[in-house]
Amino acid sequence: MNYFVKGNPDLCIGCRTCMIGCVVAHEGAKIFQMKPGEYVFNPKLDIVKTATITIPVQCKHCENPACMNACPVGAIEVIDNAVVVSQNKCIGCKTCMIACPYGAIDMVVSSDGSKQLDGNSRMVANKCDLCTGIEGGPACVRVCPTASLKLVTEEAVETSVSNKRMAAAISLTQVKE
Amino acid sequence: MSMGIPEIENAKLLFIFGYNGADSHPIVARRIIKAKQKGAKLIVVDPRITESARIADMHLQLKGGSNMALVQAIGNVIINEGLADQKFIEDHTNGYEEYKEFVKKYTPEYAEPICHVPAEQIREAARAYAKAETSMILYGMGVCQFAQAVDVVKGLASLALLTGNFGGPNMGIGPVRGQNNVQGACDMGALPNCYSGYQSVTDDAVREKFEKAWGVKLSNKVGIPLTHVPHRVLEEKDEKKKIHAYYIFGEDPAQSDPDLNEIRETLDKLDFVIMQDIFMNKTGLHADVILPSTAWGEHDGIYSACDRGFARIRKAIEPKGDVKTDWEIISLISTAMGYPMHYNNTQEIWDEMRSLTPSFHGATYEKLEALGSIQWPCRDESMEDKGTPYLFTGGKFSHPDGRGKFFATEWRPPCEVESPEYPYSLSTVREVGHYSVRTMTGNCRALANLEDEPGWIQMSPEDCDKLNVKEGELIRVFSRRGSLMTRVLPTERVKPGATYMTYQWWVGACNELTTPYLDPVSNTPESKYCAINLEKINDQAWAEQCIKDSYESIRKNMGIDTAKKEV
Amino acid sequence: MGKQILTTCAYCGAGCQLYLNVEDGKIVSSTPANGRTNEGNLCLKGHYGWDFLNDPQILTKRLTKPQIRKNGVLEEVEWDEAISYTAERLSEIKAEYGPDSIMGTGSARGPGNEANFVMQKFMRAAIGTNNVDHCARV
Repeated sequence: MNYFVKGNPDLCIGCRTCMIGCVVAHEGAKIFQMKPGEYVFNPKLDIVKTATITIPVQCKHCENPACMNACPVGAIEVIDNAVVVSQNKCIGCKTCMIACPYGAIDMVVSSDGSKQLDGNSRMVANKCDLCTGIEGGPACVRVCPTASLKLVTEEAVETSVSNKRMAAAISLTQVKE
Repeated sequence: MSMGIPEIENAKLLFIFGYNGADSHPIVARRIIKAKQKGAKLIVVDPRITESARIADMHLQLKGGSNMALVQAIGNVIINEGLADQKFIEDHTNGYEEYKEFVKKYTPEYAEPICHVPAEQIREAARAYAKAETSMILYGMGVCQFAQAVDVVKGLASLALLTGNFGGPNMGIGPVRGQNNVQGACDMGALPNCYSGYQSVTDDAVREKFEKAWGVKLSNKVGIPLTHVPHRVLEEKDEKKKIHAYYIFGEDPAQSDPDLNEIRETLDKLDFVIMQDIFMNKTGLHADVILPSTAWGEHDGIYSACDRGFARIRKAIEPKGDVKTDWEIISLISTAMGYPMHYNNTQEIWDEMRSLTPSFHGATYEKLEALGSIQWPCRDESMEDKGTPYLFTGGKFSHPDGRGKFFATEWRPPCEVESPEYPYSLSTVREVGHYSVRTMTGNCRALANLEDEPGWIQMSPEDCDKLNVKEGELIRVFSRRGSLMTRVLPTERVKPGATYMTYQWWVGACNELTTPYLDPVSNTPESKYCAINLEKINDQAWAEQCIKDSYESIRKNMGIDTAKKEV
Repeated sequence: MGKQILTTCAYCGAGCQLYLNVEDGKIVSSTPANGRTNEGNLCLKGHYGWDFLNDPQILTKRLTKPQIRKNGVLEEVEWDEAISYTAERLSEIKAEYGPDSIMGTGSARGPGNEANFVMQKFMRAAIGTNNVDHCARV
């Protein structure tokens, strides 16, 4: 099963620490040595605020991902329980962005500084990769000051389902015929 | 704060008044959330749907500038419904009968048209506040930055007195102060009326103690507050009463103070302006002397958190450039003026301060090293005195007779209200990722990437429709004092007619618009209310270019070689 | 190998404790410490707000040398000149208009308590006025 990061709107205060944590995790500490215009700042999650909700929205890492199915060049694959875009394969066709029902994919300037044939900066699909290959796991979860973000693993899902079944069983014993 | 930050999560009810922890102190907001998780009731009074309001049990979305009417209506309900703590009132307070008499007229029905909060909701909030086992009030600049501010603070304290919510853990009243060391600057006597530890300059015994220690005669005349400086420069006719020189240390009035036009005029009119800071800033453009100092991370010292907690700051890196610590610069000037001052390190200064300040006397460097943080009062140097988590233990107050005093007065509307010409209200608020005048955070790459010039104006979707503007569009904002451009941020979290701008921006500097009206006691300006108008800009490309040009010109003025670098 | 320096965050009054991680005399990151108020948590300013010490010159620029305005233009000078000029001008104004014609500020920001104590002592003992205040009001 793929993992995903789940936010709890009762705990989120919309401070956006997660968004910077995401960028720093993916771009590395080198951005603090670079000139401000020379690196890209592409958070892979975005805070949404309405009158009643505050929560970051990011990829759900679907089991049957619409983005992966739609990608014409096979640039999206499942690696280590996460749906990941290989930005070097991406042709910037935006099909995945349209296919995603969560609005979790956007198009950004590639962080490797590469150019397109027309000389412009290369545009690629940008989405949460659960910090695959980054020590300590998802940075957003690590830096959140209110612990509103959790990494949901297969084990966590199983425990949650089995706890709910246990509760259901107990409640069933109270139902008299 | 009468309580400590950790206690917030243990209160049974939090009454949050004009305080948006999520944007001003995320780490305090974390305690509010924990309190809620632990089952506390949350009542939020704010004209906006803040993060706390969003998760609150009750949100009183009052009209800006009506605080006093609401506070007294709550007092009225508590008394009328017999919810007051009579024993606490008898044992620990003065002035109850007068208070009771005064708030008689402030029925919820009387307050409703002023506050735009239904009378029944006011009743429910009052009942919940009075009935909870421990109720804690947290308030912020939504109380303080009004011309009627001190009255409201006393009014809130009266609610705590009325219900006996003082003197124990997890209760009381907490001004959650904004800047990292605003508590410390007050603690150390950077105030016109007191020395360190709130010892009055008009108290003869206190003054004699300082005179003896410092070997010099001291003035017994209370000084003038910072916000009176423009008046004392621009309007005072008597040369002897005028302010002629201004030593500005670690502040940027040309960005942070209200009515910037007036501030600039003031700075230019002064005979001599000294600016001592770490970054070039807007005040520096008007300075006669600039004294560069070390920054946080480059020097040692102690800060005071908003809950009276002293904690160490430590030097981590060597400063670049020809700079000195602030205390060394001041000491050198003092010595050159014939009053020699010399310290080898911050501990020597701290020890001198402790020797003159009974309530901080026990907070030694050694003890801070061992305990990490000490909340004052801490009187005894022995390890037994670990400081004071909450004040007024057992209901004993700092008035000479040890009793708390009730306070009530008439509600006054803000000094400048909406008019046909200026039909919207503007309140200045904080940007979560930026700090104060932004010289520090505006020069942090990641934080500047997240939000940068010119900033936003929060408007209701209805107002956006009316003006035919959409998210991200540049809009012109003007008041009787100035005008600027900023970006439109439609949000359901504000009421029609009310707008909000974060005060951190230089291009979209909302203090070009704000009024210089002050609270008569605290002299705090009314940054939370002024009247503005809004105007759609048809040529957006032109407006975008203006913003870009004005950012570039600011950077050039600050001494950045803009040709070398693009942003 | 780098070092870790325990300190108090420079932003807001929550008094969070954090470690500044220093390598080759430069701060490279911060780590939350288990402080009384923050219990191992930081917000975005605590995590990423140390970068101004690297002076990336986004909005403005670090001051690195004293300056005096001469003929309307700020010019860099040595400390001796800046100190004696400042002292002289303040003494002149004090002599002409009295100590209450001079206003000084404390700082609610980076300098710390000791610097504020020294500032108010200077205003009171050396200048002779209680005209000292800070931005608590704004």
